[in-house]
Amino acid sequence: MKIGIMSFAHHHAEAYIYLLRAIPGVELLGVADEDSERGRSIAETYGARFYPSYESLLAAGLDGVIITSENNKHLPMVAMAAAAGINILCEKPLATTVADARAIVDACDQAGVTLMTAFPMRFSAPLMEIKNRLDAGELGQVYAFNATNQGELPTKHRAWFVDKTLAGGGAIVDHTVHLVDIMRWFLGSEVSEVYAQVNRIFHAAEVEVETSALEMLTFEDGTFATIDASWSRPPYWPTWGGLAFEMVTERGAVLVDAFKQNLTVYAHAVQRPVWAHWGSDSNRAMLEEFVQAVRQKRTARVTGLDGLRAVEVVEAAYRSVETGQPVRLKESPATPIEKRRKTAHKPS
Amino acid sequence: MKVGIVGVGFMGTAHAEAWAATDAELVGFAAETTDAAGSLASLYGKQIFSDLDAMLPHVDVVDICTPTHLHYDMVLQAAAAGKHVICEKPLARTVAHSRLMVDACREAGVRLLVGHVVRFFPQYAAARQAVVDGQIGKPGVLRLTRCSYRPKKPVGNWFLDEARSGGILMDLMIHDYDYARWVAGDVEAVFARKIASAHPDASVDYALAILTHKNGAISHIAGGWAYPPPTFRTALEIAGDAGLIQFDSQETAPIQNFIAKSGAADSPDVAIPSSPVSESPYTTQIKEFYAALQSGSPARVSPEDGLAAVQIAQAAIYSDESGTAVRPDQFVELQS
Repeated sequence: MKIGIMSFAHHHAEAYIYLLRAIPGVELLGVADEDSERGRSIAETYGARFYPSYESLLAAGLDGVIITSENNKHLPMVAMAAAAGINILCEKPLATTVADARAIVDACDQAGVTLMTAFPMRFSAPLMEIKNRLDAGELGQVYAFNATNQGELPTKHRAWFVDKTLAGGGAIVDHTVHLVDIMRWFLGSEVSEVYAQVNRIFHAAEVEVETSALEMLTFEDGTFATIDASWSRPPYWPTWGGLAFEMVTERGAVLVDAFKQNLTVYAHAVQRPVWAHWGSDSNRAMLEEFVQAVRQKRTARVTGLDGLRAVEVVEAAYRSVETGQPVRLKESPATPIEKRRKTAHKPS
Repeated sequence: MKVGIVGVGFMGTAHAEAWAATDAELVGFAAETTDAAGSLASLYGKQIFSDLDAMLPHVDVVDICTPTHLHYDMVLQAAAAGKHVICEKPLARTVAHSRLMVDACREAGVRLLVGHVVRFFPQYAAARQAVVDGQIGKPGVLRLTRCSYRPKKPVGNWFLDEARSGGILMDLMIHDYDYARWVAGDVEAVFARKIASAHPDASVDYALAILTHKNGAISHIAGGWAYPPPTFRTALEIAGDAGLIQFDSQETAPIQNFIAKSGAADSPDVAIPSSPVSESPYTTQIKEFYAALQSGSPARVSPEDGLAAVQIAQAAIYSDESGTAVRPDQFVELQS
């Protein structure tokens, strides 16, 4: 199983390198980056083979490729990889616009390659525990979520995260999609309406995009949910941020913090408490699923369509910010794969 | 200064205990439920009055601790008799009534002090003071959470009657609308949803509201009657452009019990958040109101604050009903 990585624009790429190498039977064939200086330097650090162009990497005999470019470059890279017949794991958000996300899904459908959106929270051990308890009926019917995916200003990792064109916006595009995907996964229902309010009070002098966002989603099944997507953690917070929610059901509520499994470390050298996560690494489980899906020539547990649905919510949230009122999501036309599934499942 | 309390439920009881800590003269209680009034009156050795009318000639201050829908008539009655008024939150069930109450007290030359007791809880007061002192810079996002169990009075449970209490979006969450406004200023848009609207037969209720302040800050308010008794959790987070303040009652509980209880666990009819402190916030509030009445100085809650909180609550209720974002000030235009 040969895997490649396209672009080091997203810092997750570096973690993917060593996680991939820990998976038995997986070879990191090589990496390519349009910023050849950055690409060569990171390739050297991790002892990976650097290819001078995406084309040369894609022609080197890959089974799968991970795309970790800036958000707005996902479409051209996916189109290239799909045309080369290579299976794709694409970093989240799938795209900066619904049109791009749909084009990504369609390109992979037409090429017949597996497309997986990088939603690692689907593989989070605490969240999988909640999903199992929901499916077993232990928690009863879900009525509401009060959710947060707050973080530090992400420029600490890469400057483009606050670039409106490259990232697609600010806090909303950065921190909405994980929770949307988790809720869709838990509920088996789609978002029908979004309301969003934003401001740029944190880091007002440093960036031009929104740094705070509160959103209220309504699902087709009547469930409602808020998402706090704000970059509201100070730079000396004990970790990068977090993802947590209160899920209210007919039987009460559960408070879930996906990143609570930490040691609190006080070190003279740092002079502030630091949370050292000892919980399971959901990125590792996500990569294992991608590898298994490619190996078994099947759909991955998280699809391109899941990525598209989350982007639809992001785009609606930005429209709501403009209008000051909730925005209904347009009924998305069924993708070719959905149509095939519908036909396949039609009772005879 | 002679004080009479109207209403002898859990709030009348808390206020009686608070007045006992002052040198004001608590004259007695007026209540429909004479059994409860009798036990309170005998506890403090005070009189029972059959109603507010009978009590008015004997007092200087009327402390109104009755269900929300009764506040309007009682405040107008007390003001007409020239008595100062302390009124439990919410000031009234509607903005129109609240406005008339504020006007009536001003015209009668009597004080109107609204019991937004959260402003007197030490952690909430300290967090707001830290903001005022500039410790965290300009507030950008406020998150205020208040969740317990359904009020469980078996007979005539007015809390659950939306016509009388306004339901969870008013009765419970008005505490945090007022606090958000105290910290971040006036509110220009409200969007809210609650479980009871989508699932009228549900045994739990829970609501979420997003407030947009005129200065650009945004507030997230969560209110719940959803936990099994006796849990009452409150939490606050104020994120500023130069710092962050957090409080969570679960994480700051100084005592955690792992003690076996004999018999069935008990819980009060209406949950009140508590953390052992030397003075009850209800007492702190009554002491400040009493001092304000004696000196004529302002208290930390103005009549207009009480009115503004009802405006936000009514906007939240209308937002939930209409599915739209609502401006709180539209209720003055519509109804005055």
